[in-house]
Amino acid sequence: MIFVTGPLFAGKEEYICGALGWSPEEFRKHAVRDVQELPLSGDLDELADSLCRCAVVVATEVGGGVVPVDPVERERRERAGRLSCLLARRAETVIRVQCGLPQLLKGKFPGPGPELPQGGEGL
Amino acid sequence: MFTLVIGGSASGKSEFAERHVLSLDGPRLYIATMEPFGVEAQARIARHRAARRDRGFETVDSYVNLTDLEIQKGANALLEDLGNLTANELFRPDGDVGRVVPGIEHLLARCRHMTVVTNEVFSGGKDYEGETLRYLRELAQINRVLAARADLVVEVVCGLPNLLKGEFL
Repeated sequence: MIFVTGPLFAGKEEYICGALGWSPEEFRKHAVRDVQELPLSGDLDELADSLCRCAVVVATEVGGGVVPVDPVERERRERAGRLSCLLARRAETVIRVQCGLPQLLKGKFPGPGPELPQGGEGL
Repeated sequence: MFTLVIGGSASGKSEFAERHVLSLDGPRLYIATMEPFGVEAQARIARHRAARRDRGFETVDSYVNLTDLEIQKGANALLEDLGNLTANELFRPDGDVGRVVPGIEHLLARCRHMTVVTNEVFSGGKDYEGETLRYLRELAQINRVLAARADLVVEVVCGLPNLLKGEFL
C-alpha cells in the first residue's frame, strides 16, 4: 500500500494519478481518500488493517492547528493523527505532498506500470 | 532564478529567505505586501525596514496588483508574503486574486533572483467558514502553480530548510 499524506489542497490526488498514470476512475477504484474523516469510533488497528487492502490510501494532515475546544473535535483530530501513524507503519511507501511536490518519507517513489501496488483489491 | 519558501508561523521562514537573498550578489529589493493597520504595526514595520536597510535592502510596499509595480532590472527581490498578497487581492475592494500569479511573473521577468515567502496554513483541518475556505483554496492553488514554476522550493521547519525541489548551490 502507498500512503500519501500532506496538507489540505496540496495536490495529493493529482500527484498519485500522475505518478501511477491513473485516470480519476482508476483512482476511485483503487484508492481511498480523506481517511482522516473516518475514525470516529472503533478499533484503529483494525481500520488500518482494512484500509491496507487498498492500493493507495490518502490522508489530509489535520493536526497542525490549535487544539480544538470541542471535545468531539479534539478526539476526532487525535484519532486521525494516530490512524495516519498506523497507516504509515503498514505502508510499503509513504509520500508527503506539499505544494504539489512529493517528498519520499519511506520506501521508493512509485512509477506507472501494469501491476498495482501491493493491496489494490479496493475496499 | 526563482525560489519559493514555505513555512508555518514562526517557523523561521523569513529569516531563512533573507539569509538566502543575502548570499546573492547585486542590489536587494524587499517587496512588502502587508498593509500596516494601527500605530503599533506602523512602528514595527518602520523598525524592520530600517534594520533591512542596514543589510542592503531597499523596501517597496505593494498591497495589490504587482503587475503594475516597476522595479529595477536585475535586482535580487524578496517578496513577503504570498498569504498577505492573496488576502489583499481576495478581500480588498480593489483586489483581484487572478492577478497574483501574473504579478509574480511580471517581477520574475525583471529580477535576477526572486525569492517568494509563502505560508503553510493548510494543516489545521478544513472546518472553516466559506470565505476562509475560499482563501485556503486560492492560496494553495497559487502555491502549487508557483512551486511548479520555481527552481528551488524549500519548506522551513524549526528554522531548518527541508528541500522539496531543486538543489542548493
